[in-house]
Amino acid sequence: MVRFVVRRVLWALVTLVLVVTIAFFAVNLLLPYDFAVGLGQRQGAIEAIREQLGLDRPLVVQWLDFLWDFVRGDLGESYDGSRVSTVVWGTLPTTVAIFAVGGVVAYLLGEWFGRVVAWSRNRYFGAVSSVGSVLLFTAFPPWLVFVLVYFGTDRLFQVRSWFGLGPKPFEPVMGGPVLEVVAVGLVVAFVGGIVLRNWARRNDRRALGWLAVPLGLAAFVASLVALGIWAEAIDVMLWPSAVMATVGLVLIAFGESMLVMRAGVSAEMTEDYVFTARAKALPERLIRDRHVAPNAVLPAISRQINSVPYQLSGFYIIVRQLNVGGVASLFFGAIESGNVPIIIGILTVVGIIGLVLRIVLDMIQAVVDPRIRAEGEPA
Amino acid sequence: MTDTGYDYEIEGWADTRKRVLRSKMVIAGLVVLGLFTVLTFIHPVLQATVWSGKQSVYRPVTGHDTTISHPSGPTIAHPLGTDPLGRDVLSLMTYGLRPTFLVAIATALGAGVVGLVAGTSAAFFRGKYDRVMTHVADAFVLLPPPLIFLIASKRGLLGPFELGLLYGLFFGLGPAAIVVRSRALAVMGKPFIDAARSVGGGPRWIITHHVVPHVIPHVAVVVLAGVVGALVTQGFVEFLGIAEYRYGLGNLVYNALTYQRALGSEVAWSALMAGALAISLLASSFYMISSGLREVTDPRRSSRRA
Repeated sequence: MVRFVVRRVLWALVTLVLVVTIAFFAVNLLLPYDFAVGLGQRQGAIEAIREQLGLDRPLVVQWLDFLWDFVRGDLGESYDGSRVSTVVWGTLPTTVAIFAVGGVVAYLLGEWFGRVVAWSRNRYFGAVSSVGSVLLFTAFPPWLVFVLVYFGTDRLFQVRSWFGLGPKPFEPVMGGPVLEVVAVGLVVAFVGGIVLRNWARRNDRRALGWLAVPLGLAAFVASLVALGIWAEAIDVMLWPSAVMATVGLVLIAFGESMLVMRAGVSAEMTEDYVFTARAKALPERLIRDRHVAPNAVLPAISRQINSVPYQLSGFYIIVRQLNVGGVASLFFGAIESGNVPIIIGILTVVGIIGLVLRIVLDMIQAVVDPRIRAEGEPA
Repeated sequence: MTDTGYDYEIEGWADTRKRVLRSKMVIAGLVVLGLFTVLTFIHPVLQATVWSGKQSVYRPVTGHDTTISHPSGPTIAHPLGTDPLGRDVLSLMTYGLRPTFLVAIATALGAGVVGLVAGTSAAFFRGKYDRVMTHVADAFVLLPPPLIFLIASKRGLLGPFELGLLYGLFFGLGPAAIVVRSRALAVMGKPFIDAARSVGGGPRWIITHHVVPHVIPHVAVVVLAGVVGALVTQGFVEFLGIAEYRYGLGNLVYNALTYQRALGSEVAWSALMAGALAISLLASSFYMISSGLREVTDPRRSSRRA
């Protein structure tokens, strides 16, 4: 297992260098020299700016320079003089926090819904839910955000008033320790609760099984109160733009895992072990959740994780209107001004997030399925 | 998961058509796609007939109806209403479908050709070349084509067709190549490849006559799924106003939202819904055809990364 992990990580580093190289050349070739011209200088001044930024060198030299910086863990300097790593890093906590909560919720929702739809075998329910989830999956993000804000704002303010919070304009959400604590706490509470529930069910502790997820959430709330940040935390959790961004992401992302899960469960339903379980007169829900679902869950997880880079780009598009975390304004601003290093930095971060999650996925699969471990290399 | 004993083979064109048309997903997708194709071609027809005398009202971008206040809901004169700038939504929508279809075709072409070449050649030649291609594909999977599309749109030099090809290139070298390679590897293990080799078939013959025909359906599945992202991204590029043209479906949504805010009038629902629903319905038609075809080509899907 250790050997497998080491090899996997080494291969990942090779992939990462490739990602950075492709991103470097793609962005430079698609957006060449716009920055200096964008400053509106006269011809001589433009040349001076290029020389100062090192843009007069051949692209390959610039690439080697960039790569040398990258190997030392630095993303270079942006055209307006700031460190790319610092700027991109600053937007990361909020983005990752909201994206993680949204992604986990979307996956769990899709997995559960796909299971229910496949099991119900009601044709109309199946047709409506697949058309609905495809339409949500392909929804036009600006429209979706508008509809959410238009119809959801009053409801959200109502919910805020239950907690004694006033209405709040759609301000940009910037990071902060509270938000990170909330996001990490929510994900841990949810995932921990579900793991605990599965453990309890396997060991026939029915009461614990029912209480696991509520217990996780209660522990989350209790820890917030214990830390003394309850008031701020609830304010952050009900922050309009963050809530809308999360809901938007969930709506767009859940369809995929639902369709995969549904196909998986449908394929498993005709297997012999399902007949055996039915012959033993086990309750249907038990067959579905304990016998069939575990066999179908791996492709759904794998699809969810593999589409994270893609979903991140959808998320950037969603948050552009809501201005959550600043990543969208950074990205689109950099495109607007032709600030190439920042764009490359953002693409690199997307690549790294995707790559890390893929390694985690490979490890999960290697633990679950010994055949993959034997192969060693990424398939 | 391995094969379950029986081989799932599709025999000939007639059988293919029967199986494809049995899939309700494919039918639904084809109906929606056909509807939008008709809508695209209806624009010049309407221009030449119903709207011919009233160009100042129905011209797609610069038309304006001076007789009513805007935005307005559906009427007989304007079946989909008018947008806040007083233009006919039906005319704008049908005209705006043109670049959208261009992007769809270009993406499908680009991703299909690139994915087919990269995937089958990697599976055929194996060895070092295969290793390199697999790593390149792994890298491309981590660079989402929508972001590249957005970056490339900025200069305003690339039209919808070029942008679609670019999206297709990134999608083709990434997800499409991975799927095609794994399918082509499965074909390479079949006895008829050895038979073709033993009667003296060269690499080119074997690839074009034996590997490609078996891989094409899987290429269609993955490429059509790729078109979905390209369409939504292109809508967003138009929405941002950095597209080369000003008559896209995204522009329709943008105008509906912006002027509603600026003028403080009621929401231009007809323009908003027409633009947004056209994008997402068209995109979902491709998605439905893709997932329907997937079920037809491979009823027991088990690939890890499909």
